[in-house]
Amino acid sequence: MNALRPHAANVRGPSVARRSRLAIWLVCCLVVTLLLTCVSLIAGTSSVETSWSWLVSPDSQASVVLWEIRLPRTVGAWLAGALLGLSGAIAQGVFRNPLAEPYLLGTASGAALGVTISLIAADASFGGLEWIGKLGLTGAACVGACAAIALTITLARGVIETTSLLLAGIVVGFVLSAVMSLLLLAKPEIWRAVQIFMFGSTAFLSWSSTGLLATVLCICIVPALLLARGLDALTLGDDTAQSLGLSLPALRLSLLGLVSLGTATTVGQIGIVGFVGLVAPHLVRETLSVNHRQLLIGAALCGGALLQAADLLSRWVIRPSELPVGAVTACVGGTYLLFLLWRRSRWMR
Amino acid sequence: MIVRHARAPRPAICKAAAFALVLGALSGGGADASPGAAASPAGSAVLRDDLHREVTLPRHPRRIITLLPSLTETLCALDACDRLVATDRYSNWPVQVRSLPKVGGLEDANIELIVSLMPDVVVLSRSQRITERLRELGVVSFAVNTESYADIGHTVRIMGEILGLPDRAINLNERIERAVQEVGQRAWAQRRGEGPTVYFEVERGPYAAGPSSFIGELLSRLGARNILPADLGAFPKLNPEYVVRRNPEVIFTEATGLAERPGWERIRAVREHRLCSLTPEVRDIIVRPGPRVAEGMRAIADCLARVAP
Amino acid sequence: MAKIAMDAVSIAAPAVPPALTCRDLSAAYGSRTVLDGISLDIHAGSWTAVVGPNGSGKSTLLRTLAGLREPRTGTISLQGRSLSAWPRRERARRLAWLAQSSSATDLTALEVVALGRFAHSGWLAHRQAVDDAAMHRAMVATGSLSWARRRLSTLSGGERQRVHLARVLAAEAPVLLLDEPTTHLDPPHQEEVALLLREQARAGVCVVSAIHDLSLALAADRLIVLGQHGVVGHGGVGDALSGDWLSAAFRTRVDIVDQRGVLLWRPALGARPRD
Repeated sequence: MNALRPHAANVRGPSVARRSRLAIWLVCCLVVTLLLTCVSLIAGTSSVETSWSWLVSPDSQASVVLWEIRLPRTVGAWLAGALLGLSGAIAQGVFRNPLAEPYLLGTASGAALGVTISLIAADASFGGLEWIGKLGLTGAACVGACAAIALTITLARGVIETTSLLLAGIVVGFVLSAVMSLLLLAKPEIWRAVQIFMFGSTAFLSWSSTGLLATVLCICIVPALLLARGLDALTLGDDTAQSLGLSLPALRLSLLGLVSLGTATTVGQIGIVGFVGLVAPHLVRETLSVNHRQLLIGAALCGGALLQAADLLSRWVIRPSELPVGAVTACVGGTYLLFLLWRRSRWMR
Repeated sequence: MIVRHARAPRPAICKAAAFALVLGALSGGGADASPGAAASPAGSAVLRDDLHREVTLPRHPRRIITLLPSLTETLCALDACDRLVATDRYSNWPVQVRSLPKVGGLEDANIELIVSLMPDVVVLSRSQRITERLRELGVVSFAVNTESYADIGHTVRIMGEILGLPDRAINLNERIERAVQEVGQRAWAQRRGEGPTVYFEVERGPYAAGPSSFIGELLSRLGARNILPADLGAFPKLNPEYVVRRNPEVIFTEATGLAERPGWERIRAVREHRLCSLTPEVRDIIVRPGPRVAEGMRAIADCLARVAP
Repeated sequence: MAKIAMDAVSIAAPAVPPALTCRDLSAAYGSRTVLDGISLDIHAGSWTAVVGPNGSGKSTLLRTLAGLREPRTGTISLQGRSLSAWPRRERARRLAWLAQSSSATDLTALEVVALGRFAHSGWLAHRQAVDDAAMHRAMVATGSLSWARRRLSTLSGGERQRVHLARVLAAEAPVLLLDEPTTHLDPPHQEEVALLLREQARAGVCVVSAIHDLSLALAADRLIVLGQHGVVGHGGVGDALSGDWLSAAFRTRVDIVDQRGVLLWRPALGARPRD
């Protein structure tokens, strides 16, 4: 049927206008990231002139500060932000809720509990807990986060019902926080250390942490993009998605597995940094489409740039002191959400 | 909003006042327990505490509760340990206070227990919020500021006045000053050249001790040079890059694995293993400005002498 | 509730197995039984309309037949094979289902229709010419091509319904189960949809739809009439009329008139009040 051919061209893929919009968006994100990286090299505890002179004529201290401290820190922040943005976008798709974010399943409380146990075990006299001390804070936070997720999924009796998952996540969060409070009674002096962890910090990101984050990002993003179509189908409703041939429990389990891996790794490296996973997908949806394949890529890029910017701000504003990066993301993210609310109320009127 | 229960019985104030009256009568002189009497009759004294309140307490209080370890230590250094009826849970020096009842921490003191022990006065730090509650229940509380080095002498003096032992307080202050001077002089004598540059890490973060903190003051008395400038505050959260750039010669820290922090393996103190880690007892001393300050300084000075270049 | 096993009185019965059958089907919501002991044979090449009063289980029947609900008892076969024996993707290629109501989505119309081809194109969404052609045909047939690039949340209820219909048609499945396909549609489009379903049936598709509009339902080839206590009747439209199944199901007089070959429901409203 020859008549079909020219018509078929109508339906083939996004129009030129939309494709170029996506391309523009990608280029913008990359440019912003590169810019932030360059500024991060210059900004820090030294003055701008000193940093500039380091770049031009490096000395021994230059190589340490620029390439072993500032560069891995900014790259690591981008990778962590990308993981958080990706996890947030997936979580919002699985739960079909624009308020979903990566710490939904009790991850934050689990990580904090892991850190608490690790700090207590560090000077514990009984030998059984030494292995926890060996994990270090990063390992303990990661294990704690994973344990919390496993507990949530078990409590919700599988991933079939998203409502029960959400409720189980809230319950697990509360219960683990309570356990942590009880443990802190035994050793109140470690409360400060736990609190510092809860605020989040990109201060000690090294090349090895960066390598780990990059590996996990690759492991997460490839399956996520493959499963993106399933997320699209989920927006049509559970029954319709099932009728299209999707196995909903398997899809949800795989997606939540990716969220868990990404979030647990990030929490282990930089602590609990909120708002990035919540705001990045919204930013993408405002400017780009909601086709999940594009949304996931966009949210990762956006989240990376966001956390990079937050890290830069936290280092610059009161140098050589530092603001906790979680506080900066809360301010920035909170402001953006307020702006969204204001715009929505204006639109409704 | 404070709700006053007019009917609430006030056994504490009645019994304390009665006790004070009896004591006052026994110690001679008319017992005038009326609060706010500016001229202090034999039974009670009016002192100004660090919250700028005029506090009326018995002249020689016999039942004292302290809610801060440094206040406990000061009291016992004035040989008045027998007057203590209870302390906070962190007070652990001298040994005999460990058997006393514990009324809780700095922010979560057990009000019920305090009231039931019928103290003459509760001595606490300026920032504790139970002051208001104790006032409502009629328990006398006295706030003492204990943050800096200068506060040590002030605390000793004021405790002496509370106890009615001003001479002992003067003696104690002289002894502390002598001990501190001795440690300081020895440290200065042992120094080779300029004092070592020091970085004192308080918490993983990294949070460091600045020159304006108590620890910072001790370090400067020992001739060490703090890598932090004074304008950053007492305990700033630092960018770890700053420590790398300032390259301290000695690092005081509890954390392990400093060489794994990016860039830190180049720091002179890490490279040459000039790390000082203080025992929990010493840590207790240098966190609370108290009469044992010379002991704390001695421990720091010993470590510095050992590892400084 | 008497179990009524009806032998399919087929109008044009070819000697092939029926596209969709169920035996002894029972469905319940908790303790409330909605369907009990239903046995049906539905053949390809016909349009079957399921009618009945509210709560008689029309949606439940469709969802159970589509495999979206587990029946309490009974078996369902699709093209001669048990429904549960089909691999998921295979089954989705042969059975397309349209929901009664759909949730809001921000996907564009084109993306939604493309999802209809999911069972064919799979996870990688690499669309080939055959997919494009099927999508185009479906969108032209439902008249939704003009808003292919618009987000579904910006369309009206009727426009959205047509996009979903296009999605179901794009799958080109031999069995279509449609729950209220004419919801939100204005009369001209309802007419179009009815003609479309008839055309599909002629082309050999097995179309089953739950329609509460009796006049539209009577445009179908066969009826399944559900009453409060199970199937009242299953057969051709003529049988439904002669057996007065509709009045039995709705428990009230249902007047059907033949208007020049078109069967219409005439509601007993009485004369209009004079002003």
